[in-house]
Amino acid sequence: MKNRMNLAARHLAAAWLLLLAGCGHGAAQNGLPLRIEISHVVGEAPLRLGDSYKTSAGDGWSAERLRYYLSNFRLRRADSTWFVNPQSADSSRGYFLVDEADAASKQFQIGPIPEGTYSGIEFLVGVDAARNSAGAQTGTLDPARGMFWTWNTGYIFFQFEGHSPQSSDAEHALTYHTGGGADSPARSVFLQFQTPVQVTAENSAELHLYADLSRLFDGAHALRPATLPTAMDPKAAAEVADNSAGLFRIDHIHKLPKAGLAQGQ
Amino acid sequence: MKRSTPWLFALPLLGMLAAMPWAQAWMTAHATPRLQVPEGWPVPRYDFAGNPVTSAGFALGRRLFYDPILSRDGSIACGSCHQQFAAFAHLDHRVSHGIGGVNGKRNTPGLFNLAWQPDLMWDGSVHHLELQPVAPMSNPVEMGGSLALAVDKLRRNARYPELFAQAFGSPGVDSQRLLRALAQFTGTLVSADSRYDRFVKGKEAFTPQERDGLDLFREHCASCHREPLFSDFSYRNNGLDAAPRDAGRAVVSGRDEDQGRFRVPSLRNIALTAPYMHDGRYDSLEQVLDHYSGGIQPSPTLDPSLAHGVPLSPDQRTALLAFLDTLTDESFVHDRRFAETHD
Repeated sequence: MKNRMNLAARHLAAAWLLLLAGCGHGAAQNGLPLRIEISHVVGEAPLRLGDSYKTSAGDGWSAERLRYYLSNFRLRRADSTWFVNPQSADSSRGYFLVDEADAASKQFQIGPIPEGTYSGIEFLVGVDAARNSAGAQTGTLDPARGMFWTWNTGYIFFQFEGHSPQSSDAEHALTYHTGGGADSPARSVFLQFQTPVQVTAENSAELHLYADLSRLFDGAHALRPATLPTAMDPKAAAEVADNSAGLFRIDHIHKLPKAGLAQGQ
Repeated sequence: MKRSTPWLFALPLLGMLAAMPWAQAWMTAHATPRLQVPEGWPVPRYDFAGNPVTSAGFALGRRLFYDPILSRDGSIACGSCHQQFAAFAHLDHRVSHGIGGVNGKRNTPGLFNLAWQPDLMWDGSVHHLELQPVAPMSNPVEMGGSLALAVDKLRRNARYPELFAQAFGSPGVDSQRLLRALAQFTGTLVSADSRYDRFVKGKEAFTPQERDGLDLFREHCASCHREPLFSDFSYRNNGLDAAPRDAGRAVVSGRDEDQGRFRVPSLRNIALTAPYMHDGRYDSLEQVLDHYSGGIQPSPTLDPSLAHGVPLSPDQRTALLAFLDTLTDESFVHDRRFAETHD
């Protein structure tokens, strides 16, 4: 009798597990991903590594390297609730390392996004404090990728390296790195959609973000290579971090049918 | 049931074998340490739940610790500057020489009880035990390479891919596995069996002089060198220089009030870890006591508790030194599990 009860209980448990697994699986399958493409620009023109540009103050600058982390994506619904993009403690899922020199890194997907109407997107330029101090990571967060500080361990959130004739550093180098510990230079960015984005079972969207590097100098803080050739220590990096959050804008959003998403991957 | 019976006959034989001295020595040398929290100690800061210590993982970590393959030119291992007989400090070296014989700027600290340490390095620049090795590996005056370079060398090595697979249950050499294996070794370096520890447990007596030394220690030193880890892990300026030559903690924090502040080091195994201070300027504990009794240099960031120094009579000095000797953990520095092996 006892055995039969056990058997019945086991069957019930198995059924529950299947049901739960089914639900979980269904949820994961439900909804399409949202594609994000990033273009680095200076004003309206595409950024070219090595080209010379001028700030509004007349300082010259060029970029040789531009890399940064984006993470903690959220989509705001019309009813002011949020869809939080899943991140996993076991992998670097949800953490994106954008590198101007690597075309593939400038196009990625978040989601799957539940069906609904969304009015804006939020993300972090950098890595959240919890993950920044969570030990050895893999994938985009692998410290061997070189986006990791050893003099104050933690990720380099935003890395801009170039030159400026006004820089007093050796070879007129311009070096802006933000990252590190206690006073986190990770900055949150919220961008409102001009028209709400609909995600349905058949259609998702592609967000084309522009990151305007002229705003690195002409942003919330006016940064001048003559007085700030290098920013790395927490104090100097705070202003660079503020400006890095102001680089982003939505250039356009277009509808992306399910078929197009499948092809893109 | 039938099938397992023959094994039962082998059990007494195994027991006899295990009782033999050579077998015991073998087991001591090969057993895998686990992080056991000594009685009265706080909860460790490093959580092994995400990196469970296994015999193969620990052995891999130990092998990596002693292997110069982690340096750029294969000349410097972690163990080159962290010597077990010196409680993993670098005996007689004010600062250590790294790749190409270049000197570093700070004294090599001893390595023990790291699982309890909130931040690592003299200035607290490393916030996680697993990530600590990245600093010396990429420092041009230490191992001069990089994490990526080390991973690449290990992948191409004849032995390591197999050892990584054994340690982590699947093929693959990556930086996370490298750092976790090292943490299995460094995180289980527990030193908690000094004469002081046995005295606290009531298992061993102190001489009256050692007892006096303990009282003096608790009166004058223990507010910073807090028992049982003998550090409160704060950052303080202990008055070495009127104008600090090394900004210390301020490099990491960017705050002026941290100028010349360094992590309060543990005093465990202190008799073994000469020279002393962040720059290794003092060769002996006598010189250290000279400093605290009459050599404190005032500066804006000097720790207030040291404003008037720690004056000690000659007898008190002798007693304090006798007590500091009781912090030496002989079983730790002779623990064969932590020693370099050549298997």
